[in-house]
Amino acid sequence: MKRHLKIALRYFKVNLASAMEYRSSFLMQAFGMALSNATFVFFWWVAFSHVGGRIGGYDFADVMFIWALCSSAFGLSNVLFANVSHLTRLIVTGELDTFLLQPCNVLMNVCCARTSLSAYGDLLYGIVLLALTQGGNGAAWASFALGVPVGAALITAVGLTAHTLTFLLGDASLAGSMSVEFIINFCIYPEGIYQKFVRVLMYSVIPAAFIVHIPLRLARSFSPGWLALWLAASVLYCGFACWFFYRGLKKYESGNLIITRL
Amino acid sequence: MSKARKYFVIARIHVQNAFAYRANVISGLLYYTLFIFVFFSLWQAIYQEGSVNGYTHGQVVWYLIATELVVFGCRTPIVSKINEDVKTGAMAYLLNRPVHYIAYQAAAAVGQILANLCFFGVLAVALGFLFVGPIPNFRWAGIPCMLLSGLLGVALQFSSMVAIGLTAFRLEDNSAVYLIFQKLVFMLDVFLPVEFLPVWLQGIAKALPFSYVAWGPAKLFVDFTWSLFFRIVPMQLLWFSVMTGFALLMYRSGMRNLQMNGG
Repeated sequence: MKRHLKIALRYFKVNLASAMEYRSSFLMQAFGMALSNATFVFFWWVAFSHVGGRIGGYDFADVMFIWALCSSAFGLSNVLFANVSHLTRLIVTGELDTFLLQPCNVLMNVCCARTSLSAYGDLLYGIVLLALTQGGNGAAWASFALGVPVGAALITAVGLTAHTLTFLLGDASLAGSMSVEFIINFCIYPEGIYQKFVRVLMYSVIPAAFIVHIPLRLARSFSPGWLALWLAASVLYCGFACWFFYRGLKKYESGNLIITRL
Repeated sequence: MSKARKYFVIARIHVQNAFAYRANVISGLLYYTLFIFVFFSLWQAIYQEGSVNGYTHGQVVWYLIATELVVFGCRTPIVSKINEDVKTGAMAYLLNRPVHYIAYQAAAAVGQILANLCFFGVLAVALGFLFVGPIPNFRWAGIPCMLLSGLLGVALQFSSMVAIGLTAFRLEDNSAVYLIFQKLVFMLDVFLPVEFLPVWLQGIAKALPFSYVAWGPAKLFVDFTWSLFFRIVPMQLLWFSVMTGFALLMYRSGMRNLQMNGG
């Protein structure tokens, strides 16, 4: 485990250093993403000014909490594991060979090999939004602090599971990109706007509830039972994604592609 | 080959291209359905807990379907394509060809947009009827005017995207400019009708180009009146001319400063 974390940390440092080589591009992308996210605060402000009270059981501060958490979790996932979204291409072109030959954990090596510049903007935006809308609410900050790494792991796990389908079914880039889009869309709106069958999906196949809605519930009224359920379900989901990847990897056939990674 | 025929062939190739990449079509249709479903659920919750002046629930869902149709219709990679052409120097190869660079991009985009409007148009109508039924008090006689306004909305979006793409001549990275433009369009007309904005902002929104991409055509679609038509279409024409002029200006000034190193 310590070795895996060391690889992730080393990749993070190298990726950040290479991003900082093109500093203005990095800052523009991060700032642009944060500004782009901020426009949704305006949307919710207008929506709540028409309704006045709650939408789907959430008030304005609740919606800002799920937005902040979703943004930072998505940001952290793409700062550390942006290469997951390229997994299908690596499998289809045979570029995965390079990762298999290196003397470290394949999954960690593949996931951490790339970062996304705009994801830094997402990560930072969530923290700023939380500070502005929740102030010194300790429960909200505690839930956020735990929710960001758990949410990042879950978002990564969803993308990984979808892209792993490539090992079994051929090019699954569509499923890969759709899966993350779907999950984000179910994370940034109040749970109560959906009908029951959608909510069942949000607590099972599409784990949106475990990324933002349960952390919000814990921030508003803490319950050890919900905390245990949240962590157990998240570990199970991530564990399944890892197991599924290694299961799929057994089906991988090398194309004998010769490439150089610098 | 005559000028018009050349560009017609380019447009036709891009229509064929759009039909060839089925995965892109399917993902686009799924995204569109997801957006409409999420916003249908959201507006249903809003209308249950409060009331929104000026629009019924059915009208607001159809409004959203129409605005998203304009946005999805304009889904072409033109900004990133121009960006790439400028940065990688691929523009050098395109400039040697017997076509005007901007006209080439326009013809290519028209092909893609026509295909998009076919796919998403059918789905849009189906989803509208599925979720909320027919538009209340729909004015059939206004259809040609709605189509004209819709085309002008698409043209305005396209000319703005070309202008943003060409800022690559001046900026090292213009992706943030596009993101901000996109979000202004979303907030000032796609997700929220201008009438829902605070009063002080409504006047500003109606004076800016963003609202005329989707709000104008969608408003005419759900609540057509001749007076509205004569207010919206001249503004669309004005902003389309301004953005096209700006794009051509950017192109000329970029061409003057372009340095090509052969090899």
